[in-house]
Amino acid sequence: MSSPTILVENLSKTYQVPEREGGFGAAVRSFFKRKHKDVKAVQEVNFKIAQGEIVGFLGPNGAGKTTTLKMLSGLLHPTGGNANVLGFTPWELRPEYLRSMTLVMGQRNRLSWDIPAADSFLLNQAIYRLPDDEYQKTYKELDELLELEPLMKKPVRNLSLGERMKCEIAAGLLHRPKVLFLDEPTIGLDITGQARIREFLREYNRRTGATILLTSHYMADVTALCERIIIIHHGILKYDGGINDLSRKIAPFKLIGVRLAETNSHDLRKYGTPVQNEEDWEKQYIQVKAEDVTRITSGLLADLPIHDITITDPPIEDVIEQAFNQ
Amino acid sequence: MFKIFQRLWQVNWAEQWQYRANLIMYLLYWLVSPIIYLAVWTSIANSKGSVNGFTANDFVTYYMTLLVVDQVTSNIVIHTFAYKVQDGTLAGELIRPIHPMLTNALVNNIAFKALTIIGFIPVWIILFFLYKPDYSHLTLTGILVAIPAMIIGFLVGFLLSAAITSLAFWTTRVYSIHEFYYAMILLFSGQFVPLPLMPKLIQDVAQYLPFQLLIYFPIQLILGKLSNAQIVQGYVTGTIWLVVAISVFNWIWRNGVKRFSAVGA
Repeated sequence: MSSPTILVENLSKTYQVPEREGGFGAAVRSFFKRKHKDVKAVQEVNFKIAQGEIVGFLGPNGAGKTTTLKMLSGLLHPTGGNANVLGFTPWELRPEYLRSMTLVMGQRNRLSWDIPAADSFLLNQAIYRLPDDEYQKTYKELDELLELEPLMKKPVRNLSLGERMKCEIAAGLLHRPKVLFLDEPTIGLDITGQARIREFLREYNRRTGATILLTSHYMADVTALCERIIIIHHGILKYDGGINDLSRKIAPFKLIGVRLAETNSHDLRKYGTPVQNEEDWEKQYIQVKAEDVTRITSGLLADLPIHDITITDPPIEDVIEQAFNQ
Repeated sequence: MFKIFQRLWQVNWAEQWQYRANLIMYLLYWLVSPIIYLAVWTSIANSKGSVNGFTANDFVTYYMTLLVVDQVTSNIVIHTFAYKVQDGTLAGELIRPIHPMLTNALVNNIAFKALTIIGFIPVWIILFFLYKPDYSHLTLTGILVAIPAMIIGFLVGFLLSAAITSLAFWTTRVYSIHEFYYAMILLFSGQFVPLPLMPKLIQDVAQYLPFQLLIYFPIQLILGKLSNAQIVQGYVTGTIWLVVAISVFNWIWRNGVKRFSAVGA
């Protein structure tokens, strides 16, 4: 193997964020003397990715994932360190570089909302200078994998979230990029939608040998796609290695949520560690070891007047917090 | 490259077409002030016979021509671009291998003009029959000589507006800076008052400024009021300003993009 496709050395990014207290006095003072706070978003991160790898980039909100992807795609200048992708320094924004990579970030990127996706696709064909036959071939492949055809004629604003994401990803891949940076490619999609996109990415990688670095909130995305995981937390690289080693490192936990028939809360502490869940205040949640789930669930069902019970994976934030923050 | 512009045109035309009702309203708003100047100056000239040698019909002809020239040379880049910098949506365009301002925004402006012509023509014809401008001296040569001047005027105006718009990389106050720039245009381009009616000092200054390239110079060419020496001088001034505008825009743009990517897109 020659030089790596993506090489990141001591990459750092510190944002200067203006800081001001509330109130009129502070407003006046800040007019004359602005206070800044340094926020270290990414701190001396190092990694190498070889051609054809699919690497999952994990971390809680604000860990520095998106900042790193933006630096690697050229949107951000780092404050320290270096990166090299396909032999280019990304933030020089060289057209040859832009033509050989893609960044898919969120829902609004490459497609104009007011017109059908087909028109934006044709524009991309021209922008990336794709000959007609090559473009048709790629489009056909993408259509086969993502079933685009029925979506192409409608204005993008009339598409559903999942449909739009499919079109966004396809629009980002028309020029057959060699490197893909995907920021939360499955966010907001339902389970089938997520599975589809995953399947597609695996197939695309197999067919083209493209290198993929993707961030995700969903552990499932990563376990399905990536053999290798990079974890970043508070801007610091915490883990870089195989996914199997990681699962050994992270104690496997499950969350059990119960809604009781009576409103008075029973003490669940003897079953597992209680945890807060702000999104769902109707249920009480406890965290238990994965191997104990069956035993504890049957215990709960036998002992308590239960209306509803759910068993879920803990959010990725909590998992990483537990594994690396002790 | 041609294909890029062709496809950009299709996309931008389709986008603008979605907002056609909006655009017509915008056009009417845009036409209000020159029409007011037209009405005011003709009634002043009518009551006094003439103003500094300008008869009522001179004003009519001047402002009717101004409406056409302004339709060609004006731009709306501040309204279609600055917000993209401020809300970060420019990021998506920055990682495409084409210049966001000199391709997409430029074509977008031209599509806007092409579309508003639909509203412009009937308004102009109505005014034509109301005010009856005197176009008896109009020559084909005059029009042909004016066309490149209007293109230069548009490009200079677009690049200067684009440069000011690019200040959005630093400040959110770019709209008020652009308002000031627009006031300069009103004063020095011959829009508010035909330049010969201005004080001598302003006339002298104005001929070296870029603003008259957008309005006064093309009008005078169309109406055949300039000597050959004046035509050459105007074109030389135009070319110099075009070079200046390109350099200024490029410098601001490059540093702006650097800053955009320093503070976080």
